Amino acid sequence: MSQTATPALGPTFTAGLWKENPVLRLLLGMCPTLAVTAALKPAITMGGCVIFVLICSNIVVSLMRNLLKPHLRILMFTLTIATFVTIADLILKAFVPDMSAALGPYVPLIIVNCIIICRAEACASKNGLVVSVVDAIGMGLGFTLTLSVLASIREILSTGKLLEVSVMPSGFVPWAAMGMPVGAFITLGLILGLVNIITKKAS
Amino acid sequence: MSKVKFFMAQSWLLIVAALLFGVLLAGAQTGLDPFIKANEQKKLSDSMALLITDAKTFELAAQDVEVPMGKKTVLSKVYKGVTESGDIAGFAFVAEGAGFADKIKLVIATDPTFTNYMGYKVMFSNETPGFGDKIKNDYYSQQYIGAPIQRLELTKAGDNLVIDERIVAISGATVSSDAVIKIFNTFGRKVKSQLQTKGVIQ
Repeated sequence: MSQTATPALGPTFTAGLWKENPVLRLLLGMCPTLAVTAALKPAITMGGCVIFVLICSNIVVSLMRNLLKPHLRILMFTLTIATFVTIADLILKAFVPDMSAALGPYVPLIIVNCIIICRAEACASKNGLVVSVVDAIGMGLGFTLTLSVLASIREILSTGKLLEVSVMPSGFVPWAAMGMPVGAFITLGLILGLVNIITKKAS
Repeated sequence: MSKVKFFMAQSWLLIVAALLFGVLLAGAQTGLDPFIKANEQKKLSDSMALLITDAKTFELAAQDVEVPMGKKTVLSKVYKGVTESGDIAGFAFVAEGAGFADKIKLVIATDPTFTNYMGYKVMFSNETPGFGDKIKNDYYSQQYIGAPIQRLELTKAGDNLVIDERIVAISGATVSSDAVIKIFNTFGRKVKSQLQTKGVIQ
């Protein structure tokens, strides 16, 4: 893999939060974004798992970047990601079994999450360890924050609660649809529209 | 360059990485397995307590209960729920079978005479969210409370409040509905006959 000029750490970190936010700007990781954002707790757990896998896979890919054969790199990335996803899944089963059951197949599905393979290909396979770790943290936090915002909106509107604490006035009638897949699509669509408006105004 | 040398030059990193990751996974599995097993045991105890509400404690009634599943035989443990006065409140056992996406693992409870089911709880499943995972919902699972321990049948239309050997399927999740019935049909009568053979029930 070819070496490129070392990017600055600050912009690398903040890119994942806004400019290259994996969900809002790159539209990656749509499956968990839509599936696990009915409530805040599973969304944060999913975000934590993605951060763990991103950091571990970026470290491994960065360390072996000079040894990678171009035609075998996707295979190596998948092998690396699958290993850390399996470990994340085992950790959840061991220490947060209720959350593991709530997330169901979506934790193993992180293996095919485009964000992780994208960062392995676009960043870790071309940069050193520090840049790769900073990129993983920035992208992971960007993903987690986006999921958390989506999940907060959906949980509040569908139950009137946030993290099982009532936050709406007593007369509030919950919108059950917001807890269903339709609520995920509507909320994501509105947020994407808002982000587009903000971006256009800024440019 | 010989074929072997070419193969090794191309794939040595993949082979080494696969070995290292294998060791890493084995270590993680070994280290975390006691916690996972303890969680499963707690979930089993909690599920049995929810199904057999009169039981104060649960004791192992029989182990290595053989249940043939196709070409292989599964060994199941059967627990009995004991009331405060020492009477048997019911039996419970773990049963499993193939679901739509992955295996389904259930805790099935029966009455003390092994005549009727007392219901089930899902220990593990990866059925499709919003469809197959409705096997955890009351609409479907309550049809098994009081159902006779005989061959159960799946029906696509009917009254789910009528408790008999016919179970009304979940709309859009016939495979998952059928999988649960197959688990009951595979385990229910086999476990009963094994317990009769072992003298645990009459």
